Amino acid sequence: MKLFQNTQEFSYPWEQVTAANWRKYPNEVSTHVVAVDVLRRELDSTGTRLTSERLITCQQSVPKWLAMLVGSSNKSYVREVSVVDLNAKTLTLRSCNLTCAHLLKVYETVKYQPHALDASRTVFQQEAQITAYATIQTLCNKIEEWSVKRFGENASKGRKGFDSVLRMLSDNWEQRDKLVDELSDSIADRVAGTVGEIRATTDSLIKETEMKSTSLVSRYSKETQRAFNKT
Amino acid sequence: MGNAMSASFAPECTDLKQEYDNCFNQWYSEKFLKGLSMENECSKQWYAYTTCVEAALVKQGIKPALDEARKEAPFEKGGESADSDASK
Repeated sequence: MKLFQNTQEFSYPWEQVTAANWRKYPNEVSTHVVAVDVLRRELDSTGTRLTSERLITCQQSVPKWLAMLVGSSNKSYVREVSVVDLNAKTLTLRSCNLTCAHLLKVYETVKYQPHALDASRTVFQQEAQITAYATIQTLCNKIEEWSVKRFGENASKGRKGFDSVLRMLSDNWEQRDKLVDELSDSIADRVAGTVGEIRATTDSLIKETEMKSTSLVSRYSKETQRAFNKT
Repeated sequence: MGNAMSASFAPECTDLKQEYDNCFNQWYSEKFLKGLSMENECSKQWYAYTTCVEAALVKQGIKPALDEARKEAPFEKGGESADSDASK
């Protein structure tokens, strides 16, 4: 538990401060207070003691890690019970958060009373008791729980996504295999054909060459013989 | 401050709340603070407003947490913790 204390003075008489207390919101500083409701209000039989119960609605952007713990709603509620005591000249406000009360409780007590020496001034005393019920273990468990859930969600999302990629790939894979087969077959065919062609061409070339050369030789030999014969 | 009045947590109750607030603020300054009042006035406006609020508290799911807080710090004790002397 932690304690917070603060004392301030206002240069207005107590009566005025208490009247202003009911009109405190909205104001341009506390923009996080979006609504104030009176839930119960009773005047005692002497007409000097007024007790009010109020619900204060706050709206604040919560850090992501906190929103994760307390839910996505960024509205929070505070219950306040106040007593105006005309005889004692005190206005005492006691408040406690309703939202996330299982994790953290802030009990705040505020007291307004006239300054002891100067009735035109009002003393404001504030005290807050802050108790965190969430141990580090609880927080860690929460974070783990959330992470596992999120992981599961993402995993199933990821699975779906991967499935579709796999399906697409597998389709392409089969096609690819087919394509490769076709391609290699046709290449082989073509190569074989080419080789055959080349071979054929070469063969014929060689044959042609042989024939030509043979005929050349024979022609030359005839001529040579003739020349020899002549001589 | 001026005429700016705070809204109700339930938008459907805001008009009724402002009617009540107007009446209360006047009563508070003009009568209560001067020790001139023996009764909590504005009962007509109060009834209309509180009926609206009660329904909205249930509808918006605030009631359970509120009941818990009421047990812990009763209205009758001015909002002081019920187990204030045995505070943990």
